[in-house]
Amino acid sequence: MQESGQDVRLKDFDLRQAAFDCGYVELDEEYDILLRDVCIKAAKSRISSNDTDDTRIIQAVQALDDIDRNVNELSERLLEWYGTYFPELELTGEPLARFVSSFGSRANVPESHQMFVKASTSMGSELSFADEEMLKIFALNLCSLYDTRRHIESYIVTAMGSLAPNLSDIAGALLGARLISMAGSLQKLASFPSSTVQVIGAHRALFKHLRGNTPSPKHGIIFNNVIIKNAPWWQRGKLARAFAAKISLAARTDFYSGERDPTIKEALDKKLNAVRTANPSAPKRDTKPHGKAGGRGKSRNKKGGRR
Amino acid sequence: MPVEELSDGIFRISIDGREMLATRNLMPGISVYGERLIVEDDVEYRQWDPTRSKLGAMVLKNFEIPLHYDSAVLYLGAASGTTVSHVSDILRDGLVYAVEFSPRTMRDLLQLCDQRPNIIPILADANRPQSYAHIVEKVDVIFQDVAQPNQAEIAAVNSKYFLEPHGHLMLSIKSRSIDSVANPRRIFKEEVQKLESGFDVEFEVLQRKELDPFHEDHLGLVARMFVDEEDEK
Repeated sequence: MQESGQDVRLKDFDLRQAAFDCGYVELDEEYDILLRDVCIKAAKSRISSNDTDDTRIIQAVQALDDIDRNVNELSERLLEWYGTYFPELELTGEPLARFVSSFGSRANVPESHQMFVKASTSMGSELSFADEEMLKIFALNLCSLYDTRRHIESYIVTAMGSLAPNLSDIAGALLGARLISMAGSLQKLASFPSSTVQVIGAHRALFKHLRGNTPSPKHGIIFNNVIIKNAPWWQRGKLARAFAAKISLAARTDFYSGERDPTIKEALDKKLNAVRTANPSAPKRDTKPHGKAGGRGKSRNKKGGRR
Repeated sequence: MPVEELSDGIFRISIDGREMLATRNLMPGISVYGERLIVEDDVEYRQWDPTRSKLGAMVLKNFEIPLHYDSAVLYLGAASGTTVSHVSDILRDGLVYAVEFSPRTMRDLLQLCDQRPNIIPILADANRPQSYAHIVEKVDVIFQDVAQPNQAEIAAVNSKYFLEPHGHLMLSIKSRSIDSVANPRRIFKEEVQKLESGFDVEFEVLQRKELDPFHEDHLGLVARMFVDEEDEK
């Protein structure tokens, strides 16, 4: 195992000969078998040491996405299914699941409940006992998925707090975790230029742009932060650039020093305010991002794709 | 005759009027990735799906496969071992060094290595052959399926380290991983040129063909390392 652990070797070093010379093996076959065993062991030990904090966070982020997908599908099914029995109930998503799992048939809604009037006058059909049990179990499962989701979310927040405190400060724990997940690791995120960070998650738009006839994307996944989401459209590109720059800085600080540095956040806020005060109102026409800003011509595109 | 040997260890089997590619199973009874096992005259074969394996596609594209029963092969980009398992079938008395960079896929590959005695797994970056130079000895064939932008360079560097004089290089070039938007034809041409004269090792390209319809935008290539006669003396 030591043999393969070391990286640097002289090109002409003959391990087989060395093994013979040392009397470690006597036959070629012995060496072959030993080599294979050692290689398998070395690979296995390197794989098990590969489980790091960021791989755990990445798994958690992806589990979150899986749950979201499933929850959406299942809650839509519940809405359709339960709707035949109680169409007046205007609940969706988690409240609906909680309602169904605790009451089942609308006959069980107590007088004190705000849905009582609707429940007692509903045009929905009657719910048989077997169907009621079925729906309750279905809804209960959905509720437990919502619980799991919250659990994973808080796990990510805690884990990010220790792995990447600065990134969590700047981007928020969940967005930060998502960036790490899309980059592949904290190290990779730290080594990206901030222009890449700015468009992570906008691959389709980016490649469309590189093929030539659309404006460049202004923001990828970082759009999900309120800084950009809540900004008026003419500030978004500028804010995204400033935001991405500080995310890079935060990721690098986290990866290389690991210490919390509050000045990044201060600098970010200062920069954001500067952008906002410098661009108080929408610019005159021409560069509106919606619609066909780019047109077809190359030179116009560059203008259309302003950041 | 339902079984025909196309090349050492590679068979074409006709069953119910359908022809399929197969290798002779080195570990009878075990199906590696869910492929079909076929017994013919007391010999067990494993079906080989050319859409899942560049090498399999190369066989069907009438490449002359330089693999023999006792060859030593360096396989770069072994992934989870789909193709490697067939190479291991072919090399009954030979040996394959399977280099893979991703720990996740290496996990699957290791399960295969545990079963088969002629595969040596190496978790390493094919860009840095010096990191496994102490393990790998001279090989007859290098097979490379790495889908990296600097494919040709990786092939050249590894050939310089490990390939026997006049040994064969088998290459699958994926144009999308070199430039995702450029025209594949142009990229293939450039890569072939690089191989022929771009590095301090030179190759003589024996055969090249695109691997469609089995793999889109892939070029298969077999080359022989070119050795200067004077150098040999």
